[in-house]
Amino acid sequence: MLSLAWRNIWRKRGRSLMTAGAIGLVVLITIIFYGFAGAAISGIYQRLTERVGHLQVQVASYRDARDFADRLIFNAATVQAALPEAEWLAALDVPGLLEGDGRSRGIVLSGLAHSPAMRAQFKESYLVMGTLPEHDDPVGIALGSRLARALQVELGDTVYLYAPGTLGFGAAAYMVVGLLDYGEPMLDSRSAVVALAAAQELAAPGAVSRFGLFFPELIRLGDDVRVPAQQEALQAALGPGFAVETWRQLEPGMAATIELTEPMMAVFAAIFFILAGLLVMNTIYLSLIERIREFGVIMALGANRRHVIGMVLTESLLLCLAGAAAGAALGGISLAFMAQGFSFPEPLASAYAEFGLPRVFYGSITVAQVLTVLGFTLVTALLAALIPARAAGKLEPVEAMRFTA
Amino acid sequence: MKTILKARDIHKTYRTGEVETHALRGVDLDIHAGEFTAIAGPSGSGKSTLLHILGGLDRPNQGEVWLGEARIDGLSFTELAKLRLTHFGFVFQAYNLIPVLTALENAAFVLELQGMPRRERETKALEALAILGIAELSGRRPNQLSGGQQQRVAVARALAANPKLILADEPTANLDSKTGLALIEHMQRLNSEDGVTFLFSTHDPRLLEHVTRTVYLEDGQIVRDSVPQAA
Repeated sequence: MLSLAWRNIWRKRGRSLMTAGAIGLVVLITIIFYGFAGAAISGIYQRLTERVGHLQVQVASYRDARDFADRLIFNAATVQAALPEAEWLAALDVPGLLEGDGRSRGIVLSGLAHSPAMRAQFKESYLVMGTLPEHDDPVGIALGSRLARALQVELGDTVYLYAPGTLGFGAAAYMVVGLLDYGEPMLDSRSAVVALAAAQELAAPGAVSRFGLFFPELIRLGDDVRVPAQQEALQAALGPGFAVETWRQLEPGMAATIELTEPMMAVFAAIFFILAGLLVMNTIYLSLIERIREFGVIMALGANRRHVIGMVLTESLLLCLAGAAAGAALGGISLAFMAQGFSFPEPLASAYAEFGLPRVFYGSITVAQVLTVLGFTLVTALLAALIPARAAGKLEPVEAMRFTA
Repeated sequence: MKTILKARDIHKTYRTGEVETHALRGVDLDIHAGEFTAIAGPSGSGKSTLLHILGGLDRPNQGEVWLGEARIDGLSFTELAKLRLTHFGFVFQAYNLIPVLTALENAAFVLELQGMPRRERETKALEALAILGIAELSGRRPNQLSGGQQQRVAVARALAANPKLILADEPTANLDSKTGLALIEHMQRLNSEDGVTFLFSTHDPRLLEHVTRTVYLEDGQIVRDSVPQAA
């Protein structure tokens, strides 16, 4: 019967090609859609976790703290010793006023210390000119590029930071050694980076605002399932005086957006498949009308309703699977290209970056998404054939054999 | 002779809108094993209707139909389908072969519905085609066969499942005289040499000349049931 169903599909070659082509197109679009979304989500996840870490350690009361000192981890070295094996970042965030060439801006100065890999990653991701201040550089500063433009300063120029209400000297002069581009205008216009030691001297000797932990083996969102266990272990080790938070807790809005992406994509894919399913239903129905007499004969020969319904459903399944196979093959090729990395032209790339999207997308698709596409194909085939199959099953052999279209 | 099919007081009425048509009005008929019988009569006499009811394709409004010891007129659709599959073979006026299947696959179709494995059913189907003298055409599709060849494939399809009774509705109607006669001779040989029971619905005089029994219908009633004729 499989062979009969396959041959029946191709009786009207043009119509079947068009219908299978529609399914194939939907599968192709869905795969590309998933690939692009997967690239975007992976990119957002990587950018986000590179910036805030998979885990971040701060004092437990940091969200409610009003004073600068209440947000500090004073025993930074002790805390750092308790951190698990991972790439790390230690930061002291100091609000202040930065002045250069007669202009001033309110900024957050970040004193940073990184593990070597994190430092290299930071430079690669954000440094666009000059260099990052070395960990023992007391006067080097890297500015957000928009901040530098606003202050009209360049590499080699001197800027002055005033940080009242802090616990160190409260003021310092720095030399611009680098320019940064975070890809987010707000950050670019309000951020500057010095060595952690320099920031501690300015505002809080021996203290940090936060530690960030980054697990480089966690590349995709799906890898993230291991983070909660790490969080729990670290929280237990540090005790209740500290808040150990995941990136989801630090960026709940972005996390919610990412979580929503998968079901939204499934909804869009379902809409595409519903539209294609209407074409499949039309094709199967037309095929039934054209073969009513033949179905009558088949039933006269002894096929029962189950046989006939099965024939119609099988034809629909084969038609949809044939189209899906073609679409999947083209989708796989497209995904192979996307996996090598692609970018959008300016100003689109910058616009996307403002929303946290990466500048280079690497297409990817998960096994679950492939199964979703396959599932949608099968459901479309079965639902589209349901009405024609039931109609075929209700045929009376003698009346069907007398039918004239 | 053993009675294989029995009909008692068969009535069948069709309703089209307000109009009622009494296709059969109290038909009694026994079909015996080994018979080569035609149900004859003018158009509208109820020949095809009677054939369909006897073959389990339709149900009477009134009356009884017995296949051996089993009454079949009250069976469900599924039970009747199974009955047709296992006990009857059908040949129709318009050949009604499946156009995308080869002659061999068409001949094996009923066996496939019965669930017979592929190799076995193709062997049986090829044997049936050989009996009809068209084994060499087994790989051709219906559109590559003449009308007579197609009808012989249809007979092979009916024959392959070794049914109790082959019911043929106007099998020679679409065939020219030479081809029609050739088909009649094949079926006659199956009847006389292999004991296959045939029941025809026909008004073709060529066929009526060759049957051993003729049942005449007029206005839904049997008006004459001939004595067996010498072949």
